[in-house]
Amino acid sequence: MTKSTSRWVGASLARKQDLRLVTGHGRYTDDISVPGMLHAAMLRSPHAHARIKSVDVSRARALPGVHAVLTGEDAKRYWGPLAPTIDIGMKVPTVYALATDKVYYMGEPVVAIAADTRYLAEDALEFIDVEYEVLPAVTDTEAALAPGAPLLYPEWGDNVQCAWGMSVGAVDETFARADHVFEFRLPQHRYSGASLEGRAALAHYDAYNRKLTLHCSTQAPNLVRTLVAQTFRFPEHDVQVIAPDIGGGYGNKLQADAEVIPCLLSLATGRPVKWTESRQENLLSGMQCRDYVWYLKVAVSKDGILQGLDAQVLGNVGCDGTCHAAGAGKFLVAAGYVPGPYKWHAFRVATKVAVSNKAPSGAYRGYGKDIANYPLEVAMSRMADALGLSPAEFRRRNFVGKDEFPYQQISGPVYDSGDYAQCLAKLLELVDYDEVKQRQAATQGKSAKYLGIGIASMLEPSGGAVPSCIFNSYEVATVRLMPEGGVLVLTGHQDIGQGSETTLCQVVADELGLTPDDVRVVYGDTNAVPYGLGPWSSRGATFNVSCIAEAARRLKANLFEVVANLWQCEAAGLVAADGAIVEPGGRRMTLRELGNKLHLWPGAFGVVPKHVANPFEVTHYWTSPIASWTPDELGRIRLYTTHPSGSSAIIVEVDAETGKIEVKDVAIVDDCGVIINPTIVEGQLHGGYVQGIGGALMEEFHYDERGQLWNTDLTSYLHPLATDVPDIKCDHVISPSPYTTLGTKGMGEGSTIMPCAAMVNAVEDALKPFGVRVDQLPLTPERVIRLLKTSSIWREMYEVGA
Amino acid sequence: MNEAAMKAIRVTTSVNGTSYTRAVEPRLLLSDFLRNELGLTGTHVGCEHGKCGACTVLVGGRAVRACLMFAVQAEGKSVETIEGLAAGADALHPIQRAFIDCHGLQCGFCTPGMINSTRALLAANPAPTDQEIRAGLAGNICRCTGYVNIVKAVRQAANEMRTTAAPEGVSK
Repeated sequence: MTKSTSRWVGASLARKQDLRLVTGHGRYTDDISVPGMLHAAMLRSPHAHARIKSVDVSRARALPGVHAVLTGEDAKRYWGPLAPTIDIGMKVPTVYALATDKVYYMGEPVVAIAADTRYLAEDALEFIDVEYEVLPAVTDTEAALAPGAPLLYPEWGDNVQCAWGMSVGAVDETFARADHVFEFRLPQHRYSGASLEGRAALAHYDAYNRKLTLHCSTQAPNLVRTLVAQTFRFPEHDVQVIAPDIGGGYGNKLQADAEVIPCLLSLATGRPVKWTESRQENLLSGMQCRDYVWYLKVAVSKDGILQGLDAQVLGNVGCDGTCHAAGAGKFLVAAGYVPGPYKWHAFRVATKVAVSNKAPSGAYRGYGKDIANYPLEVAMSRMADALGLSPAEFRRRNFVGKDEFPYQQISGPVYDSGDYAQCLAKLLELVDYDEVKQRQAATQGKSAKYLGIGIASMLEPSGGAVPSCIFNSYEVATVRLMPEGGVLVLTGHQDIGQGSETTLCQVVADELGLTPDDVRVVYGDTNAVPYGLGPWSSRGATFNVSCIAEAARRLKANLFEVVANLWQCEAAGLVAADGAIVEPGGRRMTLRELGNKLHLWPGAFGVVPKHVANPFEVTHYWTSPIASWTPDELGRIRLYTTHPSGSSAIIVEVDAETGKIEVKDVAIVDDCGVIINPTIVEGQLHGGYVQGIGGALMEEFHYDERGQLWNTDLTSYLHPLATDVPDIKCDHVISPSPYTTLGTKGMGEGSTIMPCAAMVNAVEDALKPFGVRVDQLPLTPERVIRLLKTSSIWREMYEVGA
Repeated sequence: MNEAAMKAIRVTTSVNGTSYTRAVEPRLLLSDFLRNELGLTGTHVGCEHGKCGACTVLVGGRAVRACLMFAVQAEGKSVETIEGLAAGADALHPIQRAFIDCHGLQCGFCTPGMINSTRALLAANPAPTDQEIRAGLAGNICRCTGYVNIVKAVRQAANEMRTTAAPEGVSK
C-alpha cells in the first residue's frame, strides 16, 4: 500500500461543526418540530420499591388536548420487555419501559401521556391516581448482597446480577511468603455524566408507510435502532434512527431505555411524539454510574516490587445493568484491568454485581477502567508511603517497561505499546514535583491551609469488543468519490462533541491527497450509513479511524488502477497528492477530472477496466487484529485492542479549619499514540479531567436507605464551575499502536479515569500531619472535617474546647 | 388545570431587532417562547431552574436566564439571542470567532449561553483577568471543556474587542 503523507493528521485544525454551534444553528433533537407533533410526559414512581395495586387514568384521558394515556399494562399491546444490551452470564430481568406490576426505583416511569403541548402533558400527570403497596427497599451494595435483603426479583433467589472470578499464579503462596501484605477497602459513590442536553426523542410511526422514524439524542443510532426494533418486535429495516447534534454523552447515551416511550405513544396515536427529558428526570433516571466497593490485598517485597494482587469488587447497578443499559459489564472490565500498568506474579480477582432500588446503571466515561484504576492508584501511593518510597519511585519500579511490549498482562489483556515511566517522568517535570514538595515542607503548619500533591497513573484500554453485548467488535464505513471530486465518508460513528466530524476528514484527506474541506463526514442517520457501532470505549481512534483509513486506501488503490488503465502505466508508481493522482514527474489528473470521467463523461463503462474493483466507493469492515474471545490455557480473553496510558497530578490546598479543598494545579501527560488533532486531544484531556474532579469533590446521587433520591436538581447535585478548577497543563508521549492502521489509540476516557485517585492521594498528602485516610468520596468539606476529627492532633489544634 | 393559566395574553417584544407580537399563556417561559413560538432554537434549555446557564440571553443588555422569566415579562423589552450576534456565516462576532479559534466548545450545547454571558461580562469589564473571566462565567455549566479553552477564548475575544472597534456592543 502506498505510504500516506501526514499533512493533516497532526494538525490542530478548527472544527467543522463549530460555525453552526457558535451561531445558534446547531440542531439538537429538541430543536426539531414536525407538523402534527404531540408532546410526551411521564408519571414516575415516588417510591423506590413498591407493588402497583391500581392505576386510574380515566380523569387524565378525559382532559382536552390529551391524546393518549398509557399504563404499563396498556403498553404490552405494543411492545415486549426491554431488549437486553448485554448478557455474558448475567441474569436478565423481564422489565418493561413502563412499570407493570412493580416499581424498582424512585423515578421509574409508570404512565405515559401524549398531549398537544408539553405544558398540557405535564398538567395531565396530576390527574392520574396510582395506588402503591410500598415494599422494603435496599440501596447499599453490601446490604443488597447480605442474606435476608429485600429481593428485587424474587425469582432470582438473591440480588446478584452477575458474578465472575479468575486466578492466575500461586496466589496463596505468594501472600504467605510476602515481606509485606497491605489491605484496603475503597468504595466509590454513585455519580454520572449528566450531559447538559438530557435525553430527547422524537418518534413518528407512519402507519401508511409501516415505518418508525426516531430522532434521538444518542451516541449510537444503529444500536438504538436494533434495541427499539427488538423491544417492539418490529422489523429493524422499517426503523430509522436519526441522531442530530448531540449535547454531550460521555457514555450515558448508549441505550434505548425511556426513548422507546415516545415510540409507544406515536404507535398509539399515529402522530409524531416528542419527549425532552427534564433535568429532574435526567437525574432520577438518566443513566447513573460508579457505585462500588473494592477489597484489595497486595503482596509486596521488601525492595518495593509488587508480587501478588488479590482483589474483590462489589458493584451496584441499581435496578438493572442489562436491559435499561449495559451497566453490569463495567465491573467485569474493572476486574480484568485492576492489575493496571504494573507487573504481577500472582493475581486473583472476584466480582459480584448487585441489583438494588436505585436508578439503572449504564456506561460513563471509563466503563470499568476507572473502577480498576481508583483502588490500585490510591493503594500504590499509600504503600509507597508505608515503604518509605516516593509515590513515583514505587510506580517506576513496577511499571511494565517500554521494551516489554506487546506485554501479556496476568489478567489476560495484551498491552500494545507505551512508555509509562516516561509519562510519569514528564509529569513530574511538568508539575515541578520537587518544588511543590519543598514548598509543602516550608509552609506546613504555618497556617490552616495544607498543601498536598497527588499523582495517579492509568491505562485506558480502548476499543472494547465484548461478546454477547451491543459493545461489539467491528466497524464498517464507506468512503465515496463524488462526481465533482469531493469525498463523502459514511459512518455509524457519531460526533457527540469529540470532533470526529473534523478528525475523520483529516484522516481521509491525507490518504487521498485532498484537504479536509474536500471531505464531508455523514453520520447520525441509520438509513444513510453502514451499521457502525458508535463512539464508546474510546473506540473512535482505534476502530473507526482504522476502518476509514483502510477504506480510503482501498478506494485510492482502485482509482490508481483506473488511472493506470487510462494512461497505460503501472498503478504502483502513482501517488495521490494536492487533489490529484500524479505520475511522479509526469502526468496529473485531478480527482475532479477523474470523478467526472467515472460518473459522467464518458462514464464508468468507458473508463473502468473489468478487473478493477468499485472505483466509486469502498465499504470496509475493520476488526481488531488482537482481540480474542477464545480463552487461552488460563481461561483469559482479550477484549481491548489499544492501551493508551498516562499520568497526572493534582495539587491541592486543604483548609483544616473548614475542610474546603482548593484545586491549585492540574497536570496531565497522556499517551494516545499518533495524535490526529492536538487541540482536540487537549480539549478532551481538560474536560475529562474536570469531570473526574467533579466526581472526586462534589458530584453524588444522595439516596437514603428508603431509596429516595434527595438531589434532583443542579443546585443540589453539583458540577464543577469555572471557579472550581484551575488551568490545566498537558504534555504527551507518543507510542504508536502496532494494532491500528495509523498507530492511533483512543483518548476520550483516560483523563476521567485518573482524578479520583490523584485527588485522594493529594488530600492524604496534604493532611499527612493528621494521618488522614480517605474512606469515601466525594470529598465535600463536611466529609474532610469528619476525617480530620478522627485525628487527635487535629482535635488538639482545631477543635474548640479541646 | 387553572382556566386563568390558559387565557392568552398579548405580548410585544423585540428579539434581535425584530418586533414580534404573539398571544401567549401567562405561564409560558421566555425560553419556550423563543424556541417554540419564534423558532429561535439556539437558546438551549439545560436545567429549567436557572442553574446551568445554557438558556442565557440578553434582555435590555443584561444576561438573563430565559428559563426563569415568563414571555409576558419581556413585554416592551429588547431581547438578544445567539442568532442575532453574527451578521452572517462569514461575519462572526469576535467572541464567536474566539470560541472556534480556541476550541472553546465541544458538544456546543452550553455555547450560546456561554457566549451571551461573555457578551455581558465584556460589556461590564472589557479587560478581565482570568480570575474575573472565571467568576463572570460561574453561572454557566460546561460539562465538556473543563473551562480551560473557554477562558482562553474569552481572553482572545477581549483582546480583539479592545484593539479593534467593537463591531457590536451589547445593546445600545
